[in-house]
Amino acid sequence: MLTIAPLGYAILRLTAVTDLTIVEALGNFLADDDTVRALRFTLLEATFSTIFTIIIGLPIAWYLGRYKWKHIRILRALLSVPFVTPSIVVAMGFLMLIDPDGLLNYAGIDLRLESGIIGDIASYTGWANPGHFIALIAAHVWFNLSLVMRFIEPTLSTMDKSWEEQIRFLPAGSTRFGRVRNLWLPILGPAALCAASLCFIFSFTSFALIKWLTPNQDNLETLMAKSGGSAGIYNYRVDTSEIVLATSIVQLMILCLAILITAQIQRKHSVIHAVVTENSESVGKIKPNPAAKLIISGAVIYSLLPLILVAISSFRIRDISNGDYSYSTEAWQEAWSGNYSATAIPEALYNSLIYCIITLVIALPIGYVISSLIARLEHEGRIWTARVVEVLSMIPLALSAVMIGLGILIGLLKWSPSLFSWILIPAIPHIVITTPFVIRIMLPAMRSLQPEYMEQAKLLGLSTIKSWWHGKILMLRAPLVVSAALTMAFSLGEFGASWILVRSGSWDSLSVLVDQLMGQPKFDPLIQPMAMAAATTLMLLTFVLFLIAEKFRANEEGSGF
Amino acid sequence: MKTKLILCILLLVTASTAGCLGTLEEEGELYCEVLPAGHEDDGKLRIISYDVLALSDSMIEEFTNETGYEVEFIKEDDAGGILDQMMLTKNAQQADLMIGLDNTYLQTAIENCLLRDTIYTSNDNYQNISSSALEPYSGPLAVPFDQGPVCLNYDEDFVDGENVTEPTSLWDLTDEVWKGKTAFPSPITSSPGRSFMVATIDYFENDDDENTNAFDWWKAMAENDAIFTSGWTEAYETHYTGGYGEYTTGYIGDAHITVSYCQSPGVEAYYGGNYTHSTSLVLPKATIQQVEYTGIVNGAANIIAAELFIEYLLSPEINAQMPENNLMYPVLEGYELPETDGYRYHSDTPAENADIDIERINEEMQDWLEEWKTATD
Repeated sequence: MLTIAPLGYAILRLTAVTDLTIVEALGNFLADDDTVRALRFTLLEATFSTIFTIIIGLPIAWYLGRYKWKHIRILRALLSVPFVTPSIVVAMGFLMLIDPDGLLNYAGIDLRLESGIIGDIASYTGWANPGHFIALIAAHVWFNLSLVMRFIEPTLSTMDKSWEEQIRFLPAGSTRFGRVRNLWLPILGPAALCAASLCFIFSFTSFALIKWLTPNQDNLETLMAKSGGSAGIYNYRVDTSEIVLATSIVQLMILCLAILITAQIQRKHSVIHAVVTENSESVGKIKPNPAAKLIISGAVIYSLLPLILVAISSFRIRDISNGDYSYSTEAWQEAWSGNYSATAIPEALYNSLIYCIITLVIALPIGYVISSLIARLEHEGRIWTARVVEVLSMIPLALSAVMIGLGILIGLLKWSPSLFSWILIPAIPHIVITTPFVIRIMLPAMRSLQPEYMEQAKLLGLSTIKSWWHGKILMLRAPLVVSAALTMAFSLGEFGASWILVRSGSWDSLSVLVDQLMGQPKFDPLIQPMAMAAATTLMLLTFVLFLIAEKFRANEEGSGF
Repeated sequence: MKTKLILCILLLVTASTAGCLGTLEEEGELYCEVLPAGHEDDGKLRIISYDVLALSDSMIEEFTNETGYEVEFIKEDDAGGILDQMMLTKNAQQADLMIGLDNTYLQTAIENCLLRDTIYTSNDNYQNISSSALEPYSGPLAVPFDQGPVCLNYDEDFVDGENVTEPTSLWDLTDEVWKGKTAFPSPITSSPGRSFMVATIDYFENDDDENTNAFDWWKAMAENDAIFTSGWTEAYETHYTGGYGEYTTGYIGDAHITVSYCQSPGVEAYYGGNYTHSTSLVLPKATIQQVEYTGIVNGAANIIAAELFIEYLLSPEINAQMPENNLMYPVLEGYELPETDGYRYHSDTPAENADIDIERINEEMQDWLEEWKTATD
């Protein structure tokens, strides 16, 4: 209801304001150069991001899963860091990486100013801003790499080694190509497709990275965000209402299709994964060879580099008298005290923590109840009903953060403007966005939980509450902690919906503060390091939560979600 | 306390004489109903604004210490965002005071009854506001608090006078030498972008060529691969080679001329140790005076605090700080840009600003924006 009601009302309102039917709005979408250009760019960047994520992620997952690594849990955690890193921090990290003074430029790759080889590509092909596009794809690959790892590595690390040995004796597996075709493709194909489809969805709805890395181009998400502020108002800027209506419908249709395909592939992957890991006890692994070490070391460096650069940049300050750079904590002090008209870090941190606690308090019980309901329905043999509930609970995944933010802004708030000053408003999209993640984490644990535990607790004479506590909650402690930590981490880093909604109040969160500082005129050289200080604070807080989640994740889960 | 008492009496008098007449036009005059408070009065002053740099924490603290009113901000991206938000919450305004609408947006706010009268216009200090600041609007609904001419800024390293000479007409920017080297913030989403587009309308209405208008020029600029950005920051910081952008992350540096303020080179010098290689192009009618206003929101809950803040913002101590704090000129007579580090020296004075009244801007803006979009698509 939290998702569908505001969005439904928003679409009704937009159709009323624009006096257009949904079909007419779609017609307008195709007739407008800006929207068609944004759609073309969105499809292009999402497709390229997906292809390159798989190409780069596969060898990493392969080497991680096939070899025996010391400190495997630390390696998995390091390689998973990007997925929980707030997108605005990723954007800042890549801006630092591709900076004219940055590391890539020293290596002769100038993705920002597009000189040298990148400039040659641009002038030879006529491709406008290839450097910006490459930087965006590299950032999307970085962000989604752990998806590939987390889908493929568990299958590889728990697969019975004897399968591979046995297939070598069969004609179908006598050649390398044969083994790829008849063993690896059937086993890893669905996992890779799962990762690819999710990667496509996340890249399709990318917002902060597009906003900062490809300033000359819009995807559907940034186009909607730019038009959203004035949309849904009668007799005022009707053109923006038309853009938001048409774009949101097109985006909704594409994302629904992508989610349905993902669900199909995921079911297939679950079946294969269950078969492959059936006899995981007998898995034997070899020590990593130099190639494996090189690939994994490279991946770890790639995962951490942009983040390290963000932290360093918060101390690096340009001296206006000679243009040289020096290192000091001045920007931290200014950002902490809230000068330059920006919200102070402690205040933004307080807001962020309030939202993430509200999100936790609401999303975790909702996710728990829904996953418990699905598991119970399945247990009672009401499979079809369980599927319907499961699909309905996944609807927020088919909506982008900006769409959810706009749904609340145009729907909920225009229906009742007095809600504008309600402190819970910015937390609503966080709850909507994180609840499906809680369900995805809790559901497998719920399914494997034996109902007998609770019955036995009751037989021992424990009260209903104590039986529930000892027979259920304590058994689900690990997934509950993982859900709680990830819910808080995602809430802290949420940017798209917050960016839309904080404009309605004085609720600047850390992620919005980074964007606000970066958007200020930077005549004063302290402002950019101040933005980086806010980004570093956000990053550190997210990592603490992520480490808590990793500590409670069962080791036998491998890198899996 | 004394100030508060005087304000209370004045407000009572004003309220008793103000008619609650609804939104109707009578003999060309617009009457707006004074709306009840759109939010609860909890003693705080709520200000809707963009990131006005002048509103620093210390300044707000000082106001709170002087008056006892706490201040809370509703921050928008820019002037357009302020107007959008006020339109959005028309029947339940969440703010008491607006700070930041400029002369290209103000009339829309007035015609939509988003503002109510302030008694500051009868304050003695109101007479100290310069005529240039009061020229676009001098009614009781809004008070100017800062100003500055919007104009083109160019990179002197590129326009070296030998290979490339200073443009003497806007048409010069359609030459091959400027192909792909100009950046303009979109008038649809940017406040300076909007001001500059208005300036071009006046410029081409007053040039010798009667066969072309502003949108022919914009079309020619688009054909000359001009870069259009959503905001000033992207145009100036990301694309422009003459400004501080070259020292910031995300810099692209592919444009040698862009839209900013005529005092921007002065600001560059002020923050750059009296050095800048940026300067303004002050062609007659290709510059426009941007005046930013503050006004009490129609539907405000805390009118006394809003009045006090207007008075505070227009006090010589605070308003004189606009050049350092908000990078704009003060509106008070007799206050200038500081001379420190070449601020005043490098700030150029327009030869002749474009002159279009705010009523016309409001009436024709939607058509202009559509024409602009068609021309530049």
